[in-house]
Amino acid sequence: MREPGAVAAVVRRSEQSGDHALTGFALAFVALGILFAAIAGWRGDVFFFRLATEALIFGGLAISVDLLLGYTGMLSLGQALFFGLGAYVSALVLKDLAPSFWLAMGVTLVVGTVIGFVAAVISIRARGVYFALITFGLAQVVAKVVFNTPRLGASDGIIGIPVISIDLLAFHVDAANAGAFFLFCLGFIMALYFLCAYLSHTPAGRALAAIRSNENRMPFLGYPVGRIKVLVFVLAADVAAVSGALYPMLRGFVSPELLYFEVSGNAVITVVIGGMGTLIGPLYGSVLIVGLKSMIGSYTEHHLIVIGILFMLSVMYFPQGLIGYLKPKLTRRLAVRHAHMQP
Amino acid sequence: MGSLIDQLQYVFAPQIVNGLSIGVAVILMALGLTIIFGLLDVINMAHGEFYALGAYLSVSLMAAGLSFWLCLVVVPLLMLPAGYVVERFLIQRVFARKDRHVLTLLLTFGLGLVLEDAYGVIFGPNTVRADTPIGGAADVFGITFPNYRLFVMLVGTAIIAAVWIVVFRTGIGAMVRAAAFDREMASSLGVRVKRVYSATFAFGIALAGLAGVLLAPIYSVFPTMGKDFILLAFTVVIVGGMGSIKGAVIAGIALMEIQAIASLYISPVWTEPLLFGVMVLTLMWRPQGLFGKLGNA
Repeated sequence: MREPGAVAAVVRRSEQSGDHALTGFALAFVALGILFAAIAGWRGDVFFFRLATEALIFGGLAISVDLLLGYTGMLSLGQALFFGLGAYVSALVLKDLAPSFWLAMGVTLVVGTVIGFVAAVISIRARGVYFALITFGLAQVVAKVVFNTPRLGASDGIIGIPVISIDLLAFHVDAANAGAFFLFCLGFIMALYFLCAYLSHTPAGRALAAIRSNENRMPFLGYPVGRIKVLVFVLAADVAAVSGALYPMLRGFVSPELLYFEVSGNAVITVVIGGMGTLIGPLYGSVLIVGLKSMIGSYTEHHLIVIGILFMLSVMYFPQGLIGYLKPKLTRRLAVRHAHMQP
Repeated sequence: MGSLIDQLQYVFAPQIVNGLSIGVAVILMALGLTIIFGLLDVINMAHGEFYALGAYLSVSLMAAGLSFWLCLVVVPLLMLPAGYVVERFLIQRVFARKDRHVLTLLLTFGLGLVLEDAYGVIFGPNTVRADTPIGGAADVFGITFPNYRLFVMLVGTAIIAAVWIVVFRTGIGAMVRAAAFDREMASSLGVRVKRVYSATFAFGIALAGLAGVLLAPIYSVFPTMGKDFILLAFTVVIVGGMGSIKGAVIAGIALMEIQAIASLYISPVWTEPLLFGVMVLTLMWRPQGLFGKLGNA
């Protein structure tokens, strides 16, 4: 019979292998991104660079949805609220204040935190489906208001946002250079990913997983459930907002569509197809969805039928998603190798 | 004094009646949502799209020569098998899983996307308008109302009353409530729970279709019409208490009256945030909504 300590060690080791597997997928994503950049750069491409950058930006939004859904079990149907908020704040700063990347990001982060906190206070008390419907309604209401506010360009949105040059101490990244901006966004979004992945391993991150499995028991163990949920909600809001802040830098405009339910819903689809609770899955999912949309888009504008059916099939037959499906396989491999190395 | 009565008669009263007629329509939507949730714990995100389907079916059937009155009967009957198929082949497939709340929500959300896009393909992206089957206006207490709105209120009220009677005063309703209260117990007492589930889901969908037929002549018919309406219905259901029939009726009337009266004073753009604010405040005060779930009350 094994001692309790030995069991704990086995559990920890298998957990570690799982985390290593996810890190492996993340590194593979970076490698694929760089490989893509090399090929696209060699061919002097712009279109695919822009498309891939968009996939990264919406991937950031999907990560924020996964933080809530995959880690805490809170389904947000209104994450576009923060994404669009970030896009609008960044657009306004770049256009009216100064075309500075860091200023735009700083202001977005502050506004995202404040609005995220307010939204958290409104929605956090509701559980399960109530939470989903409140976030849905919150985003819908804000979208309607933005759509009817002339100061924010109403239905037209804000156009003519200056092309910026991002100051990175040692060198500059020109947003007009599609390849350079893609690599910058790859680094930015991966930094967000690694930050979130790191936070999920802190005690607060562990508490999130515990809330997901049994929210009622947590207070008895002395955990302030409400405070932890507010924390992760604000974090997710910030991740969505700073991802959204990249959007006007890529496209040069923002429109109320960024706040619509379609964007929120798309992010949820991305998370489910990529793999809930893996954080890296949403990035793969975003590449899949954005690529698929662009592919279908060259034949018909009705891409929702295809994506919707794909999504429904995925929910019914493949609920663990792409990375959720691949993760156990890589984990087993890593565990076997680990066992060989430490006999 | 005279001006106050005028104000009441010509400004408030028509608005109140407007609120009532929209309220009745919203309640029809909300009833379907709340019954489906009360029994199956399923948030039907595609409910708005079924409402749109009802509207489209009635417009198409009327274009094919059917009378409006026939549509009022035929369309809900056509919606029943649609609802049955959705429950049987989509909902039931994930029903046994642990996280079925989220899964069914996602599934119906995907279905809504597909349907909405399909309407664009089949019926075109443009707005269609159904002819008003009853023209003219009537004088009630010295105020003029379009006849059709009065008709919608009457029919809607009759349907709401019928639903109430079926659920609370018949054997079928008792089975539904029993299944909602305790699935295992009901099934061991001989209630065919699975059949009750399918039938109730189909019934909720048919109600949404009926709302579509009734409202097609008042509002325009376009592919995304369900999205615009569903938030109202959800707000009503949440305030009233998810799964509560009484709650849906009371909250439906109350919220639509608030909206109707408020739109006299504030721009219509802000009435939706106002209703949403009411919902948030209600939830802060009573997180489970005003009334209890089906089977518990």
